[in-house]
Amino acid sequence: MRKSWTFLLLSLLYFSCQEEVFLPLDQKDQRIPVIEALWTDQGIYNEVKIALSKNYYDSLDQEIIKDAQVFVRVKSSGRIIPFRYIDSSNSYRPNPSERARVGETYELNVLWQDQVYQSSGVMLEAPIVDSVTWKFEEERLFREEGYYIKVYGKIPFTENNNYRIRVIENDTLKNQREDYLLFDDTFGLRFFEEGLELGYAFQENDRVRLELYRLNRDAFDYLNQLVNLLFNDGGLFSPPPQNPESNIKVVQGDSQVLGYFVVSPVLSRTIVIQAKYD
Amino acid sequence: MPFLRVLTLLVSFSFGIQAFSQSGKIVQGQVLDAVNSEPLIGASVYWEGQISKGSITDIEGKFQIESTVLPSKLIISYVGYERSERIINPKEADKPLKFFLKPEELSLQEVIIQERRPDEQVKNLEIGKASVPIETIKNIPALFGEVDLLRSLQLLPGVQTAGEGTTGLFVRGGSADQNLVQLDGAPVYNASHFFGIFSVFNPDALKNVDLYKGNMPSRFGGRASSLIDVSLREGGKNQIHGEGGIGSISSRLTLDGPLFGKNSSFIVSARRTYADLFLKLSSDPNLNNNKLNFHDLSGKFSFVLGEKDKLSVSTYQGSDFLGLDDQFGLGWTNWVSALNWNRVNSETSFFDLQAYHSRYQYRVDLVDPDNGFEWKNALSESGLKADWTRILDKKATVNWGFHSQFYRFAPIDLIPAEGSAISPITTSPVQGILNNLFAGISYEISPRLSTETGLRWGLFNQVGKGTQYLYPDNLPDRDIDAVDSVAFASFENMQFYQGLEPRIAFRYLINPEFSMKLAFNRNFQYVQIASNSSAGLPIDRWILAGKYVKPIRSDQISLGLFHNFDQNRWEVSLEGYYKDLRNVIDLRNGAQVLFTDQVETEILTGNGWAYGLEFLLRKNIGKTTGWLAYTWSRAWRQIDGISLNQPYNPRFDRPHDVTLVLNHEFSPSWTAGLTFVYTIGQAVSFPVGSYMVDNQTVPLYSDFRNTNRFPDYHRMDASVTWKNPDKGRKWRGSWNFSIYNLYGRKNPFAYEFRTIFNNDINFSISDGEITSARPGVVMTYLFTFLPSITYNFQF
Repeated sequence: MRKSWTFLLLSLLYFSCQEEVFLPLDQKDQRIPVIEALWTDQGIYNEVKIALSKNYYDSLDQEIIKDAQVFVRVKSSGRIIPFRYIDSSNSYRPNPSERARVGETYELNVLWQDQVYQSSGVMLEAPIVDSVTWKFEEERLFREEGYYIKVYGKIPFTENNNYRIRVIENDTLKNQREDYLLFDDTFGLRFFEEGLELGYAFQENDRVRLELYRLNRDAFDYLNQLVNLLFNDGGLFSPPPQNPESNIKVVQGDSQVLGYFVVSPVLSRTIVIQAKYD
Repeated sequence: MPFLRVLTLLVSFSFGIQAFSQSGKIVQGQVLDAVNSEPLIGASVYWEGQISKGSITDIEGKFQIESTVLPSKLIISYVGYERSERIINPKEADKPLKFFLKPEELSLQEVIIQERRPDEQVKNLEIGKASVPIETIKNIPALFGEVDLLRSLQLLPGVQTAGEGTTGLFVRGGSADQNLVQLDGAPVYNASHFFGIFSVFNPDALKNVDLYKGNMPSRFGGRASSLIDVSLREGGKNQIHGEGGIGSISSRLTLDGPLFGKNSSFIVSARRTYADLFLKLSSDPNLNNNKLNFHDLSGKFSFVLGEKDKLSVSTYQGSDFLGLDDQFGLGWTNWVSALNWNRVNSETSFFDLQAYHSRYQYRVDLVDPDNGFEWKNALSESGLKADWTRILDKKATVNWGFHSQFYRFAPIDLIPAEGSAISPITTSPVQGILNNLFAGISYEISPRLSTETGLRWGLFNQVGKGTQYLYPDNLPDRDIDAVDSVAFASFENMQFYQGLEPRIAFRYLINPEFSMKLAFNRNFQYVQIASNSSAGLPIDRWILAGKYVKPIRSDQISLGLFHNFDQNRWEVSLEGYYKDLRNVIDLRNGAQVLFTDQVETEILTGNGWAYGLEFLLRKNIGKTTGWLAYTWSRAWRQIDGISLNQPYNPRFDRPHDVTLVLNHEFSPSWTAGLTFVYTIGQAVSFPVGSYMVDNQTVPLYSDFRNTNRFPDYHRMDASVTWKNPDKGRKWRGSWNFSIYNLYGRKNPFAYEFRTIFNNDINFSISDGEITSARPGVVMTYLFTFLPSITYNFQF
């Protein structure tokens, strides 16, 4: 629907023009830590990235924080799972054997300088993915010609139905603002049983990996607000731009914090698009 | 225009009483417009040399005047029309006379841009009211050549616009949904076409428009900031007339004339756009397969039922449709109908009864084998209003009445198409009944001091059928589930509010050309839009006051100085105001309001205030007319949960606003119009940095809202009209050439903060190899140097 509205507004702005301009912008006195933490049932995905925000026109890479103390606490037992900084990934990682278990609540803790940041999430049960198929489709409204993937499965839950599918095409994550695939049960979940079509056109021999996440509501809201912000054109039809509401709290210190903490199961499938399935 | 009409009648009958107090024979007659045979209300009628003993025409254009020694010359004068003089013989005096006055526009004389009395501004009790004659609106240079009523109102002091090219109005610090737009007394819920670019009113069908932004008589209410009272004109009673135009965007045709003899008349008007053709010209297949159009149909049927009664039926229907490739459709429709009965019980007693129904609906269709749906919603308001007016004496007039309104907001329905895998959605219906009692008195305390005092008492019930959700501690929160819900049967009371709305205004006449006015107004508003964008969308969610959403309360105090000079050729005014708003709403970050049944969980509530000074210099008479307006104003909101709970400026806060409107008649054939607008840029939020998250470069915003400004907005528009001055011809045509944004100012519509690849703002990742990426700012601007041509005609 978001694409539809974008198109409507494009129609409205038929008489519009665009050009690049330079606007003098205010700057933050203090750079803000950005924490991006993923805690799943698969060790390879588990990591915490910490960096600092920068001035808008600054073209340099973001500054990575490498000296933070990071750990996840298992709420039921109080067990601490330490993370350590890994240069090759520019992130903090735990022992690969550590992973989230269904039903457990996990608390993220980040200590940096005199600041302490905290968040928590519940590991939810994963839905069921039965099969992944693809089919060649002619050009349609908002859809160009190509192979389209359908995911078939079952979501037997009556609550906490907040999902994200990430798509990696030929080792490249599809991460344009149009590429976000977030859904909940607002429109029911029958479409998942009858085949959820991903809105990307693939070519023959494309290698596609799909990752399905079941998110806590706060993380799902964060991503939705992030996408809304990415689509916010600053015009009359957009709401006033706001930072997505982080689910990470500052429990010590006076700085802000950005980013989010995800606790989620991950279901992944990899396929290669082949014409024989057409 | 009940209020104006009553004022006119008050003046009329006060003169009349003076005339009838003398003994002698009475001469009767009627004064009509020579072009369309409409009655001219308030025309002066007097015998030559006896102007002080004259009379004024009533609502039917009729007059009675005591006879003098005949034959004598009877003189009829009316602002904007040629003076008529006729020698009346004793024989003629026995039968009703008819006078047809020609508009001065046709007689090469001075152009007059107002229909009211020349000294009206100084003498009346109106403060914060602006009347713009339709003829003036038609002379203002227009976007695409489309004469637009609401856009013209944006040129008045105290009225701000949401942005380039939109018709939304923000009056004295109020938001767009705090304006009541009504057509012949019936509310119009979405008064715009094309996502706000054009307003729904076809100018040919209109009689006049009044904007109440300050003091509002107690007979009006329901919105916190303003009333935009639009009247359809009545058809002529002698012969069929036509009027229309062929423009760049749309064409229109209006026909009017007698219906069943001379006691009834009709006017029907139609307008249809053909923007589809522009889309077809595009080489982009994503555009040229699409449909984009709107139409308007309006009509008014008037019946004189006798000497005392008049009945009129007005209706308006307008639709927009946007279709994409036969797979996606969005349409919305307004249908407004009103029945007005005006009765003159006696020379000192009047009664107006009004019944109306207004319905707005939209529908979205998506044709898709997997996820197709039909999504629709409708809301309606029905009302009955009775208003009695009685002139007690020359100094006092009272009025009283009631106004009952029934709101019905139908459930939002999302119906899956056959085979679609999505589930249906239906929200609960919402209904409300608002009963208002009102009374007012106009009283002349002394020749210098007058007052208009009124009280309106609103009693609002949100009623079933509906569902009310219950939350812990009665605090709706989207992160906390409702603990229970209660279903209410039809018309069962769900929530009750009541509020007294005092209205009081004073005018002190310092001298015949200079007055001071003071007013206090309170308004309650029980219906509003749950949205946080500045421009309205057709799918906006309207909500009623209920358990968790209180009615908006607006208190406004205003003070004004009004001065006319050079024999009322010039008017100058300075008005100041302070407005206090309570229970205004905004939305939480990421709010989803379209399909939820618990919209209260997405809403934040707070207060607002606004203040300002408005200066207006206006020239009404002469070959050059127009106005210069300057407004200094500020608007504020304070809503917990926004801007760290600190006060902030809404987007439409624009401290300085200058408007110049000029119209000049060079010759009977050539007239020209010029408009210049300058305002401080909109209050917006720009990033204060950026950061990376989820592999995205994201702009970082301050916690404080709207601390930045767009660059100053300014624009000049110009138009030239050529017409055949031969008034003897049956067909009168004119050509209008206009240019919007004459000097091509690139006023920003939006700024987008995003990564620019390969130093090309149009390059996207999917276009090929990325050689560079950097943060940038892309400005979108609309309508630079936009010429248009329109052919207008009358017959």
